Amino acid sequence: MLKNVTEYHIPGSLDEALSLQDRESRSYFIAGGTGLALSNSNRPVELIDLGKLHLDELHLEDESGKLEIGATTKIQQLVELDELQDFAGGYLANNLEKVGSYPIRNAGTLGGSIVRPFPWSDVVPILLSLGAKIRYFDGTHGVRDLNNLYSDDFRETLRNSIVTGIEVDLPEVGETRGRFYKFSRSEFDIASLNLGCTLTALNGKITRARMAVGARPSFARRLTEVEDFLQGQSLENDLAEEATEMAADTAGVTGDRKMSKDYRLAQVRKMTEEALTGVIGDFLEQ
Amino acid sequence: MKITTYINDERKDFQVEPGEVLLDLLRREGYTSVKEGCKTGDCGACMVLVNGRAMTSCTLFVSQVDGKKVRTSEGLHDELAENLRKEFVEVGAIQCGFCIPGVLVSSYSLLTHNPDPTEEEIKAALDGNLCRCTGYVKQIEAIKNVARDFEGVSK
Ligand SMILES: Cc1cc2nc3c(=O)[nH]c(=O)nc-3n(C[C@H](O)[C@H](O)[C@H](O)COP(=O)(O)OP(=O)(O)OC[C@H]3O[C@@H](n4cnc5c(N)ncnc54)[C@H](O)[C@@H]3O)c2cc1C
Repeated sequence: MLKNVTEYHIPGSLDEALSLQDRESRSYFIAGGTGLALSNSNRPVELIDLGKLHLDELHLEDESGKLEIGATTKIQQLVELDELQDFAGGYLANNLEKVGSYPIRNAGTLGGSIVRPFPWSDVVPILLSLGAKIRYFDGTHGVRDLNNLYSDDFRETLRNSIVTGIEVDLPEVGETRGRFYKFSRSEFDIASLNLGCTLTALNGKITRARMAVGARPSFARRLTEVEDFLQGQSLENDLAEEATEMAADTAGVTGDRKMSKDYRLAQVRKMTEEALTGVIGDFLEQ
Repeated sequence: MKITTYINDERKDFQVEPGEVLLDLLRREGYTSVKEGCKTGDCGACMVLVNGRAMTSCTLFVSQVDGKKVRTSEGLHDELAENLRKEFVEVGAIQCGFCIPGVLVSSYSLLTHNPDPTEEEIKAALDGNLCRCTGYVKQIEAIKNVARDFEGVSK
């Protein structure tokens, strides 16, 4: 319950939605409501429903591999949509199924899952490991690399913006495959660590690599050193060994009450190795 | 604010506080199959169908169901729902009963969308429902039995 909310707006345009946000930030955008409902905060006095802004559209250009998803698309819709079952070998659809439970995914939206900086988010590392960009509207339309999500200047921009969607640009040539792992105490619990990796390959060579680790326990980040190392290499299983150490060195994990630093490091190594041998194996089997 | 919602096929007009969650409204209006358990979206005791989709009513604001169809466990009356109820009793899937309306809503939602689920799909459909008495073995058995006998669209 948000007991101080007295107004509920349903704007019909992005401009109108933005103009309804007050200076003192006591008005909040609402998408699925699953995050807001749990906050039980006394702060919000107005809710601005984003549900009528037609931000739930999906465009996939088969030829170029460009995917655009509107911010109010429900997570479960993305799990089920036919168009996504083959996108990046099913990476997005299959792994978003690891977010929360079926009823939470039925209500929670893509945008709502990335705006608030939850360090344990699964959605963010899944998208980061596809090299996703975030689209927003702050009076004009903007696009930024999702990897900037936690930078101070972008957080400031987002404070006065509506996230309108994400876009993923897979390389036009080559095939993309990936693996995502979530370590949690139960199927439904939030992650104590998660890691995702996609590789694009053409003629036996890796043309693009994207890897991200989250719940470190701090915010998710891309492992660009590992990506740079992998890009241009031939698809061979022994790549995994070197990349694994590099991932452990650069993941920046620490310990918390859920997991010690050493245990997290061991998990980073294990997930990296399994992800790379798994994806490389998929390519080699073809 | 004023909202109009269709609860168990009946049109209902309410004057509500927009920041109230659906669970509180439903209980106040006498839909007591909808239980307040964790109130954090974890236990599934407050599960309802909103436009046919299973959702936890503790994580939905009343303002979000304006114009939508809400179905609670007491509003499930068709053959599938009755078969589920009967089978849950017959296999012994119920002990204290607190979680059962929510589990029924999830099971009903599963079998409506997927009349012939695998065991893994049943487990996935119940992953938002916590039961602290019987565990899930008997519940899964009951759902499998109903699925086997259910003349669903795909059979
Ligand atoms: C029980 C439970 C389990 C969960 N488990 C997981 C899990 O395992 N993994 C995981 O990754 N997540 C998990 N989540 C998080 C869940 O995915 C988020 O609560 C949900 O995705 C938020 O989306 P929403 O649409 O409901 O957001 P809302 O509650 O509507 O909004 C959340 C915040 O984002 C803002 N906002 C929303 N949309 C926009 C937009 N387009 N532009 C600008 N601001 C916006 C709102 O103002 C608000 O501050 C879990 C949540 C619950 C309740």
